[in-house]
Amino acid sequence: MSTTDHDLATEQVYQIVIRTTPERLWEAITSPAFTTQYFHGARIDVTPERYTSRGPDGQSWGDDAVYEFDPPHRLVHGWRSLYDPDLADEPESRVTWQIEPRDGGLCLLTVTHDRLEGSPRTARGVSGEGWTTVLSGLKTLLETGSPMLPADG
Amino acid sequence: MVTYGERMTPDDETQEAVFRALADSSRRRLLDLLHARGGQSLTELEEEFAMTRFGVMKHLRVLSDAGLVVTRKQGRKTLHFLNPVPIRLVHDRWIDKYTEPQVATLAGLVPLLEGASPEEG
Repeated sequence: MSTTDHDLATEQVYQIVIRTTPERLWEAITSPAFTTQYFHGARIDVTPERYTSRGPDGQSWGDDAVYEFDPPHRLVHGWRSLYDPDLADEPESRVTWQIEPRDGGLCLLTVTHDRLEGSPRTARGVSGEGWTTVLSGLKTLLETGSPMLPADG
Repeated sequence: MVTYGERMTPDDETQEAVFRALADSSRRRLLDLLHARGGQSLTELEEEFAMTRFGVMKHLRVLSDAGLVVTRKQGRKTLHFLNPVPIRLVHDRWIDKYTEPQVATLAGLVPLLEGASPEEG
């Protein structure tokens, strides 16, 4: 099992149920007015061609191709971790967002981060707490209308 | 059995299923195996257990119903992945709530104690 660390994270799957409509969920994923509230403060803008992410001071955190753009169902884009100089040189990986409506006004969101074979540091960086923080924040934002605050009782 | 009144929200039901799924050492072991290496087939996972293939399958189904395991078809094989999000949500709801205020209280004592010490120096 010497390859455990490598295998660990070349394909990561995250799934969450959110009480919202597919349209609203799509908007929350693709427009900066929403993403600044749950995605580490990133201003993320998604067009049919391009996925761009900017930090609070306008620095580039991500600038990648969009491979599939099918609102409000499916979004596939490239991922390079430009927010961290140690990770920025690693090759592009891929992120897929899949939205499926469920009974009772719910949506099942599946995020798959794969093609991480050549990007072990990015794989480690986004795994576990990385994506779960973003997705639990997204759920809180859409279900309560306010971002999750650390000290909020 | 504890009852929670008339009806539970979907989130309550999910968390109930997560706690039930975690209350078994074989299922916790399956999660550890998938955490160490994602995308394993039933055959690969089965090798790690003394129980029958059917037994492992049953445990995987409980984990899957709780949202802790997500599967993907690849040819004739079904690959299993750990989904850590439900555990994160349980953590946010049930761990943070009970640990943070106490930490805050203890942290609040430090300046109080430091300031109250007359014999310092």
